[in-house]
Amino acid sequence: MGRAPLVFEWIRVGKNRVVPAISLAGVSRRFGALQAVRDVTFDVQPGERRAVLGPNGAGKTTLFNTICGDFPPTAGSIRLFGTDITHLKPHERTRLGIGRTYQTSLLFNGLSVLDNLFVAVRGLRPNRFSFLRPSRGDDGMAKARELAERMRLSHLLDAEVVNLSHGQRRQLEVGMAMAGDPRVLMLDEPAAGLSPGDRPELLKLLRELPRTLTLILIEHDMDIALPAADIVTVMKDGEVVVQAPPDRIEDDPVVQAIYLGGGH
Amino acid sequence: MRDRLLLLSLLGLGLMAAAPFLLQAMLPANQAQFWTANVLGRAAVFGIIAMSLTFLATYGGFISLAQMMIAGVAGYAVAVFVEGAVPRIVGGLGYGLAIPLGVLAATVMGLIVGAVSVRTRDIYLLMITLALSMGVFRFVETNIAWFNGYEGIRNVVGPELFGLGFRDPWLFYYVALGTAVLLLAGVLYLVRSPFGLVLQGIRDNPRRVAALGYNVALHRIAAFGVAGFIAGCGGVLATIYNIGISPGTIGLGATVNVLIMSVIGGLGHPVGAFLGSLIFTIFDTFAANLYDRDRFNTLIGAVFLIIVLVSPDGVIGIGARLRRLLGGSKP
Repeated sequence: MGRAPLVFEWIRVGKNRVVPAISLAGVSRRFGALQAVRDVTFDVQPGERRAVLGPNGAGKTTLFNTICGDFPPTAGSIRLFGTDITHLKPHERTRLGIGRTYQTSLLFNGLSVLDNLFVAVRGLRPNRFSFLRPSRGDDGMAKARELAERMRLSHLLDAEVVNLSHGQRRQLEVGMAMAGDPRVLMLDEPAAGLSPGDRPELLKLLRELPRTLTLILIEHDMDIALPAADIVTVMKDGEVVVQAPPDRIEDDPVVQAIYLGGGH
Repeated sequence: MRDRLLLLSLLGLGLMAAAPFLLQAMLPANQAQFWTANVLGRAAVFGIIAMSLTFLATYGGFISLAQMMIAGVAGYAVAVFVEGAVPRIVGGLGYGLAIPLGVLAATVMGLIVGAVSVRTRDIYLLMITLALSMGVFRFVETNIAWFNGYEGIRNVVGPELFGLGFRDPWLFYYVALGTAVLLLAGVLYLVRSPFGLVLQGIRDNPRRVAALGYNVALHRIAAFGVAGFIAGCGGVLATIYNIGISPGTIGLGATVNVLIMSVIGGLGHPVGAFLGSLIFTIFDTFAANLYDRDRFNTLIGAVFLIIVLVSPDGVIGIGARLRRLLGGSKP
């Protein structure tokens, strides 16, 4: 199947004058003989909530990694608010305003919750390389506490991360990705492994995110992805196969074929 | 928990400060002096060098086998430039200048080792630091013009302080102890600074550290620079303790000894380096009395095995292990 048509209307109505938050043009990523991502082209508008769906091995996480710089694309270009970031290193992209979480939590297990958040906050400040301990009134520390409160982790500030529950680790992941006040927040399966009880909590947390933030999330769970998203991109075998608003996704024959395994 | 730790540290520090007095009260004068300088003083000096390894291992997850070589760079720099060393290579400098120069040389060497090994980890890091060590060792051993080859440089006696020779047992002990305490306090301060936290982040998850906006390579190289500074302080003291330096000081045996000290003490906390160094020094000194001088390696090997088998996290982990065994407190 060729490139998916842009089926939603609000992008056409005057929105094309706005510089997209993320703009992918012909992005591909190859690992040896494996073409993990193939010629992906789409724009994500500022403030948009975009969900990326697809079966395992569809190339969703690889696409994330090409956007965040972990694996630069082997072809195509990536723009962040008009700036070409195709060849930048991950930390340079972070400084330009991309925050991300990982499919499996990548946290600092030996450090406390507060230290994890503090390291995340300092990462984008000019004084990030410092041999001096933060003072009592350090605004980075204050910001870390504020993030902990927002992620409902205030009661665990001094707890070592290795002792946190899975749900708490996911919350901390989102908190750390938010630390640099990113313009684009990318969440890789934030609900993976969460108990059914923790899921509504996560959805609430996602919906509370400020609308100035552009959000891209990979999610298997349709109950999280569809209510959280404005537009859904469905991938299969490294390609984008459908792109549509959530209410049109469940009925889409291609999506049904992918998820139900039939040709109907 | 924090208060108990502070109390324990102050108690340990008090004991170390009072040690020469206690030894003098308990032992004949010559034995007390021997214990003060040749056991406790030497343990403090080699503890400093071992701590440079422990610092990198505990907080960065880097096992470097270059630390003894880096200490040797400081020692050689002092020996080459200080006035009075035999043979005279450059000379002309007093200890007031030669010692900072030595520490600076070690710091620069630490940075170089960090930069060369910046992309490696685990076994590859171990091998590349070992290769660098052996490279410097061979270079020094075969170079007559600058390092007097196999013979090394003698008569590095240290400065005079308070009208006493540096090798006066009490003076040497207190200088070594003071340096060790200052460096240990410095390390404990540093690991709570942004640099130290990021270093621990690199240990736990380098990819995430990079994603958060940090330059991982810069932090790694700086960590090796800090470890080089620490090893350099130890190297200068060790050179004065030995009244000179020869290539054997930085050979394979010495390199492995520093690793053994660190592992015996435990890589969980920098203070472990000093415990390991003390145990090592006691066995090294008294192997002849215990069994046979030539069997030192068998003896220390057995001690190493027993400690590693009983407590993989070294002597420092034994306390926590005992508490758990007795079921007294929470893990």
